[in-house]
Amino acid sequence: MLAGRQPDNHEEEGGMSGSFIRVLIGVVAALAVIVLGLASVGALDPTVDPDTFLIAGSNQFALIVAIALLVGFVAYALVEYLQTRRLDSITRQFDTRTIVLIPIAIAINIVLGQTVGTALKMPVYMDSIGTILVGVLAGPIPGALTGLLANLIWTFVLSGTPFGSPYAWPFAIVAAEIGLLAGIFGYYGFFRSRPNTPTVPLVLGAAVAIGVLASLAYFGILPAYLKGALIGSDLATVEPFFIAIAVIIGIAVVLTAILLVVYLFLRRDLGVAYIVVGGAICGVVSALISAPISAVVFGGVTGSGTDILVASFQQAGADLQTAVLQQGLISDPIDKTLTYIVVFALLGTLSRRFTARFPQGERAVGTAEG
Amino acid sequence: MSERSARRRADGIDDATTAPPPGADQLSEADAAYLAGLAPATPTAYHRQNPLTKATAATMATLGAFVLGGYVGPLAILVLGVVPGAIVAGLLGRLVRLAALISLPIAVSVALVSVFTRAGETVLFVIGPFDATLEGVDFAAQIIVRLFVIAMALGLFGLTTDPRALVVDLERRGVPPRVAFAAAATLETIPAMIERAQTIQAAQRARGLDTEGSLGARVRGVMPLVGPVILSSLTEVEERSLALEVRAFGRPGRRHLLWTLPDSGRQRLVRWLLVGLFLAVAVGRVSGSLPAPL
Amino acid sequence: MLSMRGVSYRYPGYARQVLQDLDLEIAPGDIVGLVGRNDAGKSTLCLVAAGLAPASIGGTLTGEVRVDGISTVGRPTHELAASVGLVFQDSNTQRSGVTATVFEEVALGSVNLGRSVAETVRRTRDAMATLRIEALADRDPARLSGGQAQLVAVASILAMGPRLLVLDEPTAQLDPEGTRLVGAALRDLAATGTALLIAEHKTDLLDGLCSRIIALDGGRIALDGPAASVLEDPALAAIGVESPARVRLARAATERGLTIPAGAFAR
Repeated sequence: MLAGRQPDNHEEEGGMSGSFIRVLIGVVAALAVIVLGLASVGALDPTVDPDTFLIAGSNQFALIVAIALLVGFVAYALVEYLQTRRLDSITRQFDTRTIVLIPIAIAINIVLGQTVGTALKMPVYMDSIGTILVGVLAGPIPGALTGLLANLIWTFVLSGTPFGSPYAWPFAIVAAEIGLLAGIFGYYGFFRSRPNTPTVPLVLGAAVAIGVLASLAYFGILPAYLKGALIGSDLATVEPFFIAIAVIIGIAVVLTAILLVVYLFLRRDLGVAYIVVGGAICGVVSALISAPISAVVFGGVTGSGTDILVASFQQAGADLQTAVLQQGLISDPIDKTLTYIVVFALLGTLSRRFTARFPQGERAVGTAEG
Repeated sequence: MSERSARRRADGIDDATTAPPPGADQLSEADAAYLAGLAPATPTAYHRQNPLTKATAATMATLGAFVLGGYVGPLAILVLGVVPGAIVAGLLGRLVRLAALISLPIAVSVALVSVFTRAGETVLFVIGPFDATLEGVDFAAQIIVRLFVIAMALGLFGLTTDPRALVVDLERRGVPPRVAFAAAATLETIPAMIERAQTIQAAQRARGLDTEGSLGARVRGVMPLVGPVILSSLTEVEERSLALEVRAFGRPGRRHLLWTLPDSGRQRLVRWLLVGLFLAVAVGRVSGSLPAPL
Repeated sequence: MLSMRGVSYRYPGYARQVLQDLDLEIAPGDIVGLVGRNDAGKSTLCLVAAGLAPASIGGTLTGEVRVDGISTVGRPTHELAASVGLVFQDSNTQRSGVTATVFEEVALGSVNLGRSVAETVRRTRDAMATLRIEALADRDPARLSGGQAQLVAVASILAMGPRLLVLDEPTAQLDPEGTRLVGAALRDLAATGTALLIAEHKTDLLDGLCSRIIALDGGRIALDGPAASVLEDPALAAIGVESPARVRLARAATERGLTIPAGAFAR
């Protein structure tokens, strides 16, 4: 296909054994971090929390795994740098198009995150469209690095400008995870449009998508009400304010589900079901990783519309960690599903000729038209 | 990062600063002075510190404020580290305003969320469903102090460091030119995109799209904005990347940069001392040998 | 300098051959104009000549493209950058966006080539002198007029020292003043001995500048010869190219029975 693409004439110094050592050291470093992390937070508590239906230790565990992945990657890069004085096997993933796309992606993240996110005044962030775009088109590693770089640049390079945010960098690891997952989903064709899907698979897809959203609501959101004594206890003792919030959240979730199904059947595109599943998974993982960071660093507050949820859950009796996690499990899947939909719609409007020129473009979006 | 690799990297820096790049000997004094003049202006002694030194100071101050917690530790970092630096740089007033501006919205959130919702023994007052507790006030104040110290430390770095200087310095230290390019290009991309968003927004307002008002109206107003802003940026990607490739962008290997920023052994020592100090504090805090945060 | 033999090219994912069995020789110092309809393959020929297609774009190239006698097949673009330069239409997308002064912007390509600082400075100064933009050296490259910005783009390629400069409609997005500025600069450039291949639909600009004109039609060479004879060839209109104003004027005058003294409209 791409018969003329430049051949790789810069053979790695160190060859096969060199890369084997790098991978080995990376894996060992990652495992070491997991062991150390588990030892420091106490062994993973496998019991299921009756209130949240989550494994009690899953919160910290996700963060530890994310950090372990990051440390493993850094160890790999460091060994490569010591071996060859270069970072070829990593930089090779970035062709010029991807490098040009990254600043635009970061700008999209920041501009939309700050303007649209705050303009809508809804509990969504919309600050990862660019990262997801790079992940899908260029692959998991460029996606992860874009997320990481985006938050570091946001803090360090832009800190003297009105666009800077000194509080973005602790969440760099979450942004990296978002880019990584988008790259993986892109690799497996989640973002591929599947127009004119027959009705039977369409109904099946809708059922799966609703199933995922429903189980999210059941495991992630319903416990918040139960724990908060909003449902199943004496409603008279509960402040109307919290009931109102609970009702609003419930309506928002149901509305999102209905909108997605309508969108699915309107476009008659099974791709929408894939996107919902991918976005929901991405949202849950993001919530698990970001909740401990948010709780430890900022007392669970981000300055956006999501804070009201944290406040409600805390007031209803949840401790800080749980309140932040519950907020994340509500906001993040909705946010990421919507973001995935935006990216999916965007990819649909881009010419295949454009997308096919990115490293993973043809795989993720499909081949160029004849 | 291991000590050994760090030393190796530091040695690499020495090579770059002491050994002149090939051909530099033919550079006339006038040209050398001209190139030096291309580097961003550094009006004060604090500005003149190497970007990595300033970045290390800001990062360690930030991490230190996290690890120490409480009031005394972060405030000590602020008073002993950040404020003197800002005075030397001659922008204390500007820095305080910037840090206040950046930390204010999130501080308000922290205050509202923590003061009224944190369970505690001592209830100060009650507003509707919320009881404000002494414990909540204490927690919120700690977080706000920490956020303000972080905003001050990173703001001082940002106000005294031209991003181009940071990027050039990082490339000199071995960061791949491609990563350096991505970071440097972001600087210009963001204002350009905001301008583009405003243009499109104005055009759509003229066509009657609502960006104020009810939620439904806002959603309808924002959605047609997102697509054009992103699409118009993306259409440039192809031509931009081809134009860069024609300028030998993809070539592997080091480049000889037109200007670099001075570094010194003393500054390197300061950097390692800062890192060492932070590690000592972190170990002290984790092992419990430091007193509990005040 | 540049030699193409039996060159055919199609873009990735497209069945249509945009260039078909093309033969082309450009000797050192040649000033060649390239005309043709919008879809005749002018831009594609520019991309192939500069080695971007297929190295950066993909697609399938058959036949042989040689730059300075060496085949471009399989060579990455950055290896060709010092031999063949390419200037695009839009000065905005050609600006790197990472430099604060015109001097640094012009020097960028030379720096990317890994040249020593002294050599880069010398070449940068030379390139700016050739295009007479020394006065812009300390300006912000993002705040220039369209014509000035396009001259900076040309200079940044020139500083890399290519012996062949390919320009793909360099004045297409410029106002008359910018077009005049770039036209004058191209004349200065032609005097330096750099070979030029200029794709352009404004034949007035090519008239008097080029020694030779190639007209493309449907990816094939329709006309190729000395500038004066090709630009006056009535066949140009049939392949969608408008002759220069002086040719049309002379033709209209002749049709109405007026005699124009030879050389009255010559430049």
